[in-house]
Amino acid sequence: MSGQLTQRIDDLAAEFAELEPRERLELLLEFSEKLPPLPPEFAEQRDQQLGRVQECQTPVYLWTDLVDGRVRIVADVAPEAPTVKGFVSILVELFSGVSPDEVLTAPGDLVQRFGLVDALGMVRMRGLQAIAHHIRRKVAAQMST
Amino acid sequence: MAKAYANPDVLVSTEWVAEHHQDPSVRIVESDEDVLLYQQGHVPGAVMIDWHTDLQDQVVRDYIDKERFARLCSSKGIANDTTVVFYGDKNNWWACYAFWVFKLYGHAECRIMNGGRKRWEADGREWSREPEPQYPATSYVAAEPDPSLRAFQAEVLKHQNKGKPLVDVRSPGEYTGELLHMPDYPQEGALRGGHIPGAISIPWSRSVNDDGTFKSARDLEKIYVREAGLKRRSPIVAYCRIGERSSHTWFVLHYLLGFPKVKNYDGSWTEWGNTVGVPIEKGPGGTASAEASS
Repeated sequence: MSGQLTQRIDDLAAEFAELEPRERLELLLEFSEKLPPLPPEFAEQRDQQLGRVQECQTPVYLWTDLVDGRVRIVADVAPEAPTVKGFVSILVELFSGVSPDEVLTAPGDLVQRFGLVDALGMVRMRGLQAIAHHIRRKVAAQMST
Repeated sequence: MAKAYANPDVLVSTEWVAEHHQDPSVRIVESDEDVLLYQQGHVPGAVMIDWHTDLQDQVVRDYIDKERFARLCSSKGIANDTTVVFYGDKNNWWACYAFWVFKLYGHAECRIMNGGRKRWEADGREWSREPEPQYPATSYVAAEPDPSLRAFQAEVLKHQNKGKPLVDVRSPGEYTGELLHMPDYPQEGALRGGHIPGAISIPWSRSVNDDGTFKSARDLEKIYVREAGLKRRSPIVAYCRIGERSSHTWFVLHYLLGFPKVKNYDGSWTEWGNTVGVPIEKGPGGTASAEASS
């Protein structure tokens, strides 16, 4: 399948593959710094702990919806957790604007594809994967409503 | 009633670190839960040691051996007589964990920067985004692991059988068995919930202030001795889920309160709660005297 999301994942995987493990962390840090700030209309929800990803280590807040049949994700992660923030930022960039079907069939091993396992270690990796699963579940729930 | 820490020198302030980060006899080491924090900004001159990718063996569930520990120290410019100051995120959990591993291999001079990253930030001190500094290699020689710091499961079983004090430092929900993991850490669960029978619950977080620093000796003594009933001379085993929060409590009991015989059971609940046939207790359990049966 050669969808838009597959292409984005392959491109990013190729970008990570060219880097040394240490540089991969730098790229992840760059992603953490370019996660768009939370739109003000979501701040109140976050302050009420709505949108909290319960599976995740650090406070991570995620909202997904469908705009004209395309996935939109809004997220907020504390700056004290740049690894999580960087990975969420990658997911937002990858998944935004693609069809929900593509999100649901996205590969479950993104952390491995981006070559981050050695840099992060297995324990941290599972926490990040939980966020990707969380997005898939939310998108699936929205498709059925 | 203790008015001062048993080993006050083991804690240094952010001010001390700011004054000594270029001191060649001192090495500042950052150890975090979040592996990117060091790159996001670190104490100038500090090196990074990761609890997972540096201190743990990547195949066997164990720490690196003493040869690899020596190579790690050498690569970070740490000699046997270097004063190593640890700091990190999450109220110094991983800093205490790294401190514990350094003590396991006999490093003499270890310190914790009181308050960790949180306090450094609150004090408005400088963060560096320079790449990790490369210091000249040393000819570090590590000692054999010190068995007085580390408890293995077989020993904990005997300890439990004899009714000796065990301190469970996890969150209350993990202790009672309602939760199989820390509220936000589902990936580090166990097949069974509850606690080691007889263990008393003293969540690690009770030992720290809001600014990330340790509570005063007087407050710590109130929590661990007066309320929990721990006796200074008893052999005590602390455990949590993977051994990091309990290394924090180990630090508090051994270094700040001066209890002589405290071990960290690093196998902790991810070992105990997955082991066939070991005794487990659910529910609120005992919270007062740990010494009732001894």
